[in-house]
Amino acid sequence: MNTGALLPNSFPFVMSTSLNAWSDALSELYLFGLPLGLVIIAAVPLVFIALYALTYGVYGERKISAFMQDRLGPMEVGAWGILQTLADILKLLQKEDIVNKSADKFLFVIGPGVLFVGSFLAFAVLPFGPAFIGADLNVGLFYAIGIVALEVVGILAAGWGSNNKWALYGAIRSVAQIVSYEIPAAIAILCGAMMAGTLSMQQFNLLQEGPYGFLHFFLFQNPIAWLPFIIYFIASLAETNRAPFDIPEAESELVAGYFTEYTGMKFAVIFLAEYGSMFMVSAIISIVFLGGWNSPLPNVGSLALNDWTNGPVWGAFWIIMKGFFFIFIQMWLRWTLPRLRVDQLMHLCWKVLTPFAFVAFVLIAVWEIYVK
Amino acid sequence: MQELGKSEQSSLRVTPQGKGRVLIEKDLSSEEMVLNMGPQHPSTHGVLRLECKTDGEVVIEAEPYLGYLHRCFEKYAETVDYPGVVPFVDRMDYLASMNNDLAYCIAVEKLLDIEIPRRVEFIRVLVSELNRIASHLVAIGTYAIDLGAFTPFLFCFRDREHLLGLLEWASGARMLYNYILIGGVAEDLPKGFIERTREFVSYFRPKAVELQKLLTENEIFVKRTRGVGMMPADVAINYGWSGPMLRGSGVEWDLRKIDGYSVYPELDFSVCVPDGKFSDIGDSLSRHLVRAMEMEESLKIIEQCLDMMPGEEGFNPRAAIPKRIRPKAGEVYGRAENPRGELGFYIQSDGKSTSPLRCKARSSCFVNLSAMKELSMGQLIPDLVAIIGSIDIVLGEVDR
Amino acid sequence: MSNRIAEGFTMSEYFRDIGSSITTIMTGMGITLRHFFNAVKRKGGAGIDEDNYFKQVDGLATLQYPREAIPTPETGRYRLYCDINDCIGCKQCERACPIDCITIETIKVTKDDLGVCGKTSGGQQKKFWVPVFDIDIAQCMTCGICAAVCPTECLYHTQVSDFSEFRRENMIYHFGNLTKLEAEAKEKKLEEEKKAAPKPKPKPAPKAQPAEGG
Repeated sequence: MNTGALLPNSFPFVMSTSLNAWSDALSELYLFGLPLGLVIIAAVPLVFIALYALTYGVYGERKISAFMQDRLGPMEVGAWGILQTLADILKLLQKEDIVNKSADKFLFVIGPGVLFVGSFLAFAVLPFGPAFIGADLNVGLFYAIGIVALEVVGILAAGWGSNNKWALYGAIRSVAQIVSYEIPAAIAILCGAMMAGTLSMQQFNLLQEGPYGFLHFFLFQNPIAWLPFIIYFIASLAETNRAPFDIPEAESELVAGYFTEYTGMKFAVIFLAEYGSMFMVSAIISIVFLGGWNSPLPNVGSLALNDWTNGPVWGAFWIIMKGFFFIFIQMWLRWTLPRLRVDQLMHLCWKVLTPFAFVAFVLIAVWEIYVK
Repeated sequence: MQELGKSEQSSLRVTPQGKGRVLIEKDLSSEEMVLNMGPQHPSTHGVLRLECKTDGEVVIEAEPYLGYLHRCFEKYAETVDYPGVVPFVDRMDYLASMNNDLAYCIAVEKLLDIEIPRRVEFIRVLVSELNRIASHLVAIGTYAIDLGAFTPFLFCFRDREHLLGLLEWASGARMLYNYILIGGVAEDLPKGFIERTREFVSYFRPKAVELQKLLTENEIFVKRTRGVGMMPADVAINYGWSGPMLRGSGVEWDLRKIDGYSVYPELDFSVCVPDGKFSDIGDSLSRHLVRAMEMEESLKIIEQCLDMMPGEEGFNPRAAIPKRIRPKAGEVYGRAENPRGELGFYIQSDGKSTSPLRCKARSSCFVNLSAMKELSMGQLIPDLVAIIGSIDIVLGEVDR
Repeated sequence: MSNRIAEGFTMSEYFRDIGSSITTIMTGMGITLRHFFNAVKRKGGAGIDEDNYFKQVDGLATLQYPREAIPTPETGRYRLYCDINDCIGCKQCERACPIDCITIETIKVTKDDLGVCGKTSGGQQKKFWVPVFDIDIAQCMTCGICAAVCPTECLYHTQVSDFSEFRRENMIYHFGNLTKLEAEAKEKKLEEEKKAAPKPKPKPAPKAQPAEGG
């Protein structure tokens, strides 16, 4: 959606508040006839994933888990262990890249790649604020849900290619889990799509814009919206293999699941993919139900909190913060709960979440058509 | 507990789970796969190796292979003198060294027929109950970790730390105490120990409640353990189970009550048996519950010990220790209630030597583990992990 | 696969399951969150033998080991130490050790040297030189049996609990109080004394010692 009135290759666009201004301007940026701007657009989510996985994803999770468990967490490298993840990356870089002798080498090598690409591609439709989005597709949400499913292929390739029984178990479990949980997740997301009447990510955000901040969010616009919200949150845990649905990598059962045999950077890539999809599902849930890059602060009288805290930079801040909030809840759950069993996982999916998702679907449809 | 109609022709595999529950599997059986679990597997609690025949995720049969931690305890005990065996007994069940020492000393004292001072008896009961709590904390914590909950594990270890501190203060060592000696204890309790133990009891009670709320009452935990690894009482008795395992199957069998050794008959405590409301009697959850309840009972025993212990100024706990231990020719079987069950020592003396002619340990873990094959039949791999965790094995005692 | 499926379960059970799942998960999350916010506190460094021990255990329990450590109580039974000046060379510890990690060699003190050899702090005349008193601390399991049998209480466990070394040889502690040359000289002296006075020599020296020492 190009609102026009933009000057390519000029810098005033930084100040522009119109929709997708930054990314549109970047896409027209050429250097020596090469589409440099497009490369930058693609690099932004990549850099973001790497930075966030390093800081909040790994270091943050370690600290959060430590504090929940009455521990200190990493303390040695840097003040309060802040450089611990860097040290880990250095270690992973130096590690021998082992491909075991009887592995299916092709699948073993492409597995982590496919996994990461699957999670990374979804970032194409993720708006980092009102002014930046990789591709403002009119079916952005559908694309995001669909492309994440590519991860399944990567997991299966990794698990099968490892030629390890534990890895195979992990891969099969993971595929069964992700494929199953896509159904309640998709229906729950459809509830949001029904409320919005669109599948475009930016439209979702625009529809939840307003002076009253969080009151315009879909979660508070509809009395039943909390149900698909919770269903999608639970299903997203399963889709990203997070506890209590971490049975594909259940360390006490399957050693490490589908990435048992991986070392060095391949292992790091698998982790990066996991953190990427963790943020992706958190961002999707905040876009669909919690207003995406819109500020949750309302205008109170003369205090125009909402107006002050909206804009391209604030938008990026809000969506990242909302994503981090959900990641915190994911971590919080992980460090509280035991793990479900395979059959209980399927029970939860097919007999609890899916029927409830259908109920929510019908109720929201009724509300949208007859009440609103 | 046998599989009915498990064959290629039948379409159903039925595994009774006790109390009217059955595990029914539609025949989707595929190729059998041999899965080697351990000795480096995270949830085999050490170096247990299980060779599992699996059909998909269903374990058809799991055979435990032992011996990775075999240290020739029994043979070695024949080469050292009687007091010298105690440090090796410590190393059998390294999570409950005090209880091991107590069992061994009871056996040798029976052979020697010596009188133990009353204060020593109270000290022994006190430290072994403290150690029982520490051991159960490890059992519960590692069980949580087997089921994927990491936080309760660390809470358990945080509290165990205080217990280890107390025991270190009393005995000088943190894990392998060599504190209970034949005829006495190594040192009298240090000054202030009794008050500190009281403080521990009041500190630990709310923590135990928190642990129950965080872990035991959690619906996922209950779902994972309830009805898993059912062991009917009669089968459990036939396997020679003891300790929390047997009590989990609903049998009121506690050597502290049955044998009434040391000063246990004077103390008021109950034998913990699940009532079948929260768990199905004989399942993994029952065994977990027994351990959780026993911690409370141990706290009660500790409080009573602290109240009833005769205080003596300048008490010499080594007074009754024989200078040279050379028992008359004969044999004896002494046993005590370990946190993991009945730990017994069969000792044979030839009357001439200062070292035992034969020292056989009846290890509770080994006996409890022997039912693994029976328990694992037709279970899922996650359930297999839950079952191993509920047996609470210490490989040091299994292999000796 | 689940037992509940085989059993068949009712609608009320279904909703009760969901209800109890939600409440128990919330309870658990409340507990972890409480601990999360309690992370501003840290456990103090007081040892178990200090009176305020249980008043300072709230909060993060970690102690950062090389810089902070749990204080070893006075009764701590760790590194074995021999005060060789008090050792009378009776070799009781060597015999009592269940894993034979103590090696002792003794030379009988000649009569004229008795004064030189001196007395223990308990006032007991020492009758043996102890040129070799080696403890393989890597083998020692700190059981305390040797310390218990020592008649002069010169062998005891100290509170030092961390004594790791990079080389295994450094784990063998030498407590002998004679150099090799000195030991040879003393041995020669003993030989000469024996030649001079061919009395029934107390060859199995260690056995005689405790009896004499009382």
